[in-house]
Amino acid sequence: MKDVFMGNLVRLSAFDPEEMSKVFPRWNSNSEYFRLLNSSARPMQSSRAALKWMEEEVSEMPLDGYYFAIHTLAEDKLIGELELDVVNWPGREAFVGLGIGETEYWSKGYGTDVMNVLLRFAFMEINVRRVSLGVFEYNPRAIHSYEKVGFRHEGSMRRLLKREGRRWDNLFMGILREEWLELNTSVPAETAMGT
Amino acid sequence: MNDLFRGKLVRFTFEEPEARAKAEARWQRDTEFIRLADSDPSQLSSEKKIKEWFDHQAEGGPKPERVSFSVRTLEEDKHIGFLGVWVDLIHSEAWVGLGIGEREFWSKGYGSDMMKLCQQYVFAELGLARLSLGLHEYNPRALRSYEKCGFRLEGRTRQDLVREGHRYDSLWMGILRDEWLQMQKGENE
Repeated sequence: MKDVFMGNLVRLSAFDPEEMSKVFPRWNSNSEYFRLLNSSARPMQSSRAALKWMEEEVSEMPLDGYYFAIHTLAEDKLIGELELDVVNWPGREAFVGLGIGETEYWSKGYGTDVMNVLLRFAFMEINVRRVSLGVFEYNPRAIHSYEKVGFRHEGSMRRLLKREGRRWDNLFMGILREEWLELNTSVPAETAMGT
Repeated sequence: MNDLFRGKLVRFTFEEPEARAKAEARWQRDTEFIRLADSDPSQLSSEKKIKEWFDHQAEGGPKPERVSFSVRTLEEDKHIGFLGVWVDLIHSEAWVGLGIGEREFWSKGYGSDMMKLCQQYVFAELGLARLSLGLHEYNPRALRSYEKCGFRLEGRTRQDLVREGHRYDSLWMGILRDEWLQMQKGENE
């Protein structure tokens, strides 16, 4: 069986508050990164505040929230954060949020690799039926990456955000388990058919 | 000037926590109602627990990011439902959720009247730029009512709901202030 946490460029690793809280303030103080990831306007300022929040929110690991750090395989460098939330257990729907905080790793396929690993985890490990995400209109790089791994456009909340004096759409996308299975034919048939 | 809290069939009120809890405890036992109003698994809570939640809300006082109304009919002065608005203050937009717990008031225009009051509040009083909502594919009555109020269908989350063994989509709708103003102009001409 494949290592569910291993990709081609990255691996999903434990979300360690000590390690994460050191890089978070630097990542979030990059306004471009923060705006691509969040609609709020309140980046966390200190690593101490970040640590406190992470220990409370993340370390408790509720059953429906899965938090990961992202490390590169080549340098074993912490480059990003990842969260998968099961928002509806009976409907088996999960919502993903992904950020590559180290900007020198943008546009090189890392995000796409993370998403491929994440989808395998979502469909093969916690057995959800669909994975959803939201992405802002002004983030074409992310949109392209999500299209590549198989997410389909499902709609757009028109003019939801106001940034730089104009309004932007919030796009939402989703992929169903059977769509993902079709794109990932390397999965053995008996695994694919299991429920 | 229009009365902000009075429509053609209903008015917005603030009911005391006791009254809200009593009504809510009864409405939550109506499976069809809960499945139309909510996508979470149906659960039961005691009237006491519900009242504690409403007490907590009432004690906090009004908040700019959360507006909550109870709804009474004009004719009978009967408490039939609720309407809540969640505001994103930074981006000047809001989400609305509403429910009519008293089933004899379904399909008679009460929901549309509540929504029109809500739009007036959101656009004319709060000055927001956009109002959003979500509903379930198996609720065509709500879809028609929202379309009538000027909401546009903006997308669907495919097959995220499972009810009675079948899969359904969640639908998402929105209306912009400009679209609402345009509609008002049309209605006043």
